[in-house]
Amino acid sequence: MLEAFVFATILCGFFGILLKQNLVMKIISMDVMSTGVIAYYVVIAARTGLFTPIVYKNQPLAYADPVPQAVILTAIVIGFSIQALMLVGVIKLSRDNPTLESSEIEKSNTP
Amino acid sequence: MTTLTLLWIGFPFLIGFLIYLLPKLDRYLGLLGALASAAFAVQLFVAQTPLNLRLLDHFGVSLVLDPLTGFFILTNALVTAAVIFYCWRSDKTPFFFAQTLILHGSVNAAFACADFISLYVALEVLSIAAFLLIAYPRSDRSIWVGLRYLFVSNVAMLFYLVGAVLVYKADHSFDFAGLRGAPPEAIALILMGLLAKGGIFVLGLWLPLTHSESESPVSALMSGVVVKAGVLPLVRCALLLPEIDPIVRIFGVGTALLGVVYGVFEKDTKRILAFSTVSQLGFILAAPEVSGFYALTHGLVKSALFLIAGLLPSRSLQELQHQPIHRPLWIALVIASFSISGFPLLSGFGAKILTMKNLVPWQVIGMNVAALGTAILFAKFIFLPHKTLAEDQRPALTWGFWAAMVLLLGGLFGANVVYYKAYSVENIAKPLATIALGWLAYWLVFRQLAVKLPRLLEQFEHLIGMMILSLILLFWMVLA
Repeated sequence: MLEAFVFATILCGFFGILLKQNLVMKIISMDVMSTGVIAYYVVIAARTGLFTPIVYKNQPLAYADPVPQAVILTAIVIGFSIQALMLVGVIKLSRDNPTLESSEIEKSNTP
Repeated sequence: MTTLTLLWIGFPFLIGFLIYLLPKLDRYLGLLGALASAAFAVQLFVAQTPLNLRLLDHFGVSLVLDPLTGFFILTNALVTAAVIFYCWRSDKTPFFFAQTLILHGSVNAAFACADFISLYVALEVLSIAAFLLIAYPRSDRSIWVGLRYLFVSNVAMLFYLVGAVLVYKADHSFDFAGLRGAPPEAIALILMGLLAKGGIFVLGLWLPLTHSESESPVSALMSGVVVKAGVLPLVRCALLLPEIDPIVRIFGVGTALLGVVYGVFEKDTKRILAFSTVSQLGFILAAPEVSGFYALTHGLVKSALFLIAGLLPSRSLQELQHQPIHRPLWIALVIASFSISGFPLLSGFGAKILTMKNLVPWQVIGMNVAALGTAILFAKFIFLPHKTLAEDQRPALTWGFWAAMVLLLGGLFGANVVYYKAYSVENIAKPLATIALGWLAYWLVFRQLAVKLPRLLEQFEHLIGMMILSLILLFWMVLA
C-alpha cells in the first residue's frame, strides 16, 4: 500500500517534468520525484521495524534498518544542491526569457 | 596501498580547492593533479594484481582497482593534462581550472568505486562540475545546454537510486555483485541510469548538443572522459554477471550504428565528433573484456579532435571545403582521424583489432558496418583543403596547443605497445580495406549528399520520455 503511494509520487513527479511547460515547475516536479525516491528508501528501511536504531538497555526492539536511511541522507543533500544550482541557472535565463517556457527557450537556443 | 589509494581519490579535490586559495598557481596545480593520477595509473599497470578495497563493513564503500581501471584513469589523467595545456595561455579564470580538477577527481572516483551508492555520489558530483564547466561562458545558450544536461542526468540518477535500493533489499549490500540476486526491475533501472549517464543509444541523444555547444576544451573533457564514467560501471556489471553481458553488447552494437548513421549525414564538425563519440562508446561496450584499451585510445583521439575543431576557421563543413585550413593543424587533424578510423601505426588500429577479436558472432556484421561508417565520417575531415597560410591568417597555435597535441597524439603512438601483436598481415589488410571502402563511399555518395536528419529525438521532452520507454525495453530484455 505504502509502496504504491511512493511509486505514484515518483510517477507524478516524472510526468510533471514531461508535461509542465514552465522551467521552475519542471524543477519542482523533479523535487517531487526525488521526494518519492527518498520516501521509498524510508519505506524499505522500515521493513524490519519502526524504532530508531539506538542501543537501549534491555528491550530488544524491532529496529528500522539504518543503512538506507544513512545512504539517502547523502542523496537528499546532493538533490537539493543540484536543485539550487538549477534554480540559479533559471534566474539567469529568466532575464531574457521572462515566461520561462522550456519549449521557447529550447527553440531560441538550439542551432 | 589502501592509504595511497584514498590519498589519490582525495588529491584532485584537495587541489581543486587549493586553486581557489592560490589562484596564481592554478595551471601548475592542475597539472600536478593530473600527473598524480597518471602516476597512480602506471602503478596499477606495474602491480597487475587487482586491489579490492572494502572500507567499513559490507554496507560501506568498496573500490576495485585493476588494470582495466588503470586504462580509464590514465585516459582521464592525459586528457585533463592536455586540456590544461590547451588553456594555459587563455584567459580562463582559476574557477575553470578548479572545476576541471574537481571533475577529474569525481571521474576518478566513479572509475574506482564498485558499489552503487559511491558510484551515485561520484556521478552526481561529476554532473555538477560538468554543468559548471558547460555554463562557464555564462551565455543563455550555454546555461540552457547545461541545465538540460543536469536535468537529464539527474532524472536518470533518480531512477538509478530506486534500482540501487531494490538491490539492497535483495542482497543487504550495495555492491555491484549484489546485482546477481536482484529482481529484473532493479537491473533495468540501474542499467537505464548508467546508459543515460554514459550517453548510449537513444538514451544518449542529449550528448550531441551538449558536446557540440560547449567550448572546445570542455567538449574534449566531456567526450574524452566524462561519458566513460557511466560506461565503466556498465562494463564492470557485464563482466561480473553473464546475464547482463548480452544486454550490454546489444546496446554496444546499437549505439555504434546509431552514432554513425546520424554522423554521416551531419554537416557540422563538432556535431560529427559528438555523434562519433556516441558510436565509439558502442565499440567500448561491444567487447567488455577489452574495453580499457579502446577507452584509452578513444579518449585520447576524441579530445585531440575536439581541441583541433575549436581552432578550425568555421564549424560548417561546407565553409571549410572552400576555406583552406592551416597545414600543421591539418596534419594533426589527419593523424587523429587516421587513428580513429583504425589505420595501422596508430593505436586506434590495435584497439579496433582487439575489440573485433572479442566480439561474439552476431555482433560482427554490425560492428564492421560501424567501422566502415567511422571511416566515412572521418574522410570528411581528412579530405579538407589545406595550405600553409600567411602569418596574419593563421589560427593562434600556441605552445600549449602543441603540448596538448604531443601528449594526446604521442599517446596514440605510444599506446601501440599494449597490443603490438595486432601487427600481422591479415590484421593490417582488413582495416585498410575498410578505410578504402569508406573513402570510396565518401567520394561517390556522402560528399554531395545533403540530407538533414530530423532532430526531434534530441528535444528535451523526448529525451525524458525516452527514459520510460527504454526502461520498459530494458525490463523485458532482462526478463527474457
